[in-house]
Amino acid sequence: MRTNKPNSWIFCVAATVTIAAAFSGRLAGQTAAVKSSAESSGSSTLWSVQVERIDPGGLGLAHSFQIAIYENLLEELKKTKRFKYVLREGDRKASEIPDSLILKTTVVKYTPGSETQRAVTTVSGATKLTVRSQLLTHEGRIVLESTVNGNVRFFGSNLRATHNLARNVAKVIRQSVWLGSERLARHSPVTSDCGRHPSPGF
Amino acid sequence: MSTRDSSRLGGRMYRLFVLRNDKNRCFVGHALISLWALLLCSGIGALAQSNAPALKANPLFSIRATHLVGWPDTKSNCRGTLSTQDKVLRFQQGAKPIAQVDIASVRDAFLGEETMQVGGLPMKIGKAAAPYGGGRVVSLFAHKKYDTLTLEYVDVDGGLHGAIFQVAKGQGELVRNELVARGASFSAGEDPTKQSISEDTHENK
Repeated sequence: MRTNKPNSWIFCVAATVTIAAAFSGRLAGQTAAVKSSAESSGSSTLWSVQVERIDPGGLGLAHSFQIAIYENLLEELKKTKRFKYVLREGDRKASEIPDSLILKTTVVKYTPGSETQRAVTTVSGATKLTVRSQLLTHEGRIVLESTVNGNVRFFGSNLRATHNLARNVAKVIRQSVWLGSERLARHSPVTSDCGRHPSPGF
Repeated sequence: MSTRDSSRLGGRMYRLFVLRNDKNRCFVGHALISLWALLLCSGIGALAQSNAPALKANPLFSIRATHLVGWPDTKSNCRGTLSTQDKVLRFQQGAKPIAQVDIASVRDAFLGEETMQVGGLPMKIGKAAAPYGGGRVVSLFAHKKYDTLTLEYVDVDGGLHGAIFQVAKGQGELVRNELVARGASFSAGEDPTKQSISEDTHENK
């Protein structure tokens, strides 16, 4: 009897370990199955995007603003981690990447401001930018279209508006459901109007 | 005044050297020193002339600048030295590694003007803490005009890059001229001065 008691304990522990290992393996298998099914359905397909230079839209936007928007857009789009590659205009690698989109940005409204005016009056001198962003396929099909604002109302230089604008554009793209969804397959564009209110960072 | 004195005062001096009566030895010493100085100066001049072509081929151009956005491997809003050497445009922030771009890859350079508040964050806090809106009065005078230098360049894959630097007033044109002198070819489609005027007008509104 005494020799049987430790044996039973050992058996119990071994059984518990076996059951635990089996369950963990099954759970891992389930997770992998879910992941593979999600990938096969295409909901997590990583697209690439090529950012085109900013179209000033005949509003006389300074070159420094155009370049600042362009560079900040590239930076913010990389941060979203929703794109496999974020490419620049003219990049020869773009032709080799199959699932790639083009981001077109056109300035539709620009109100130049003054940092000094903002510092003195607080209520005036805001720099305001409004752009229309379009995500297109290489065939010219619009996948996502949105009007986005970027402002500097209180603190910061005028170029800060470009940073806020790029952040808002990236936010719209991150929150949209176009990536790999059926919407892209149905060719119906997603239209949104975002960034009307300044972000808390202003 | 005697006739002798008048002739001495009004007469013309024909002697090249005026001999001093009492300090002959001292005069010879002075003459030797002068001759040595003359030879030394001419020698330096000759040396400078012989070195001139080498310096002209590779003069170092360097200005203080603040990088705002776009330069490779450089943080935004950092101060450093923008310089040209041989065929590259460099930006170095203190002891950090140099980030550089081939001047030949620079496609365009635009100049602009921007007025900014000086003093940074400490000044802002001070202005906010000043009683009776005193900070606003300070803001009226605590601003400075800068030149913004916007460069467009391409990488090895042909991708378009842009970089913006803030330099002291008047130095943006110098950098642009330096780039042109070193072989950068800018598109003739747009007048950079027009850009400058446009930005200035916006700021003054």
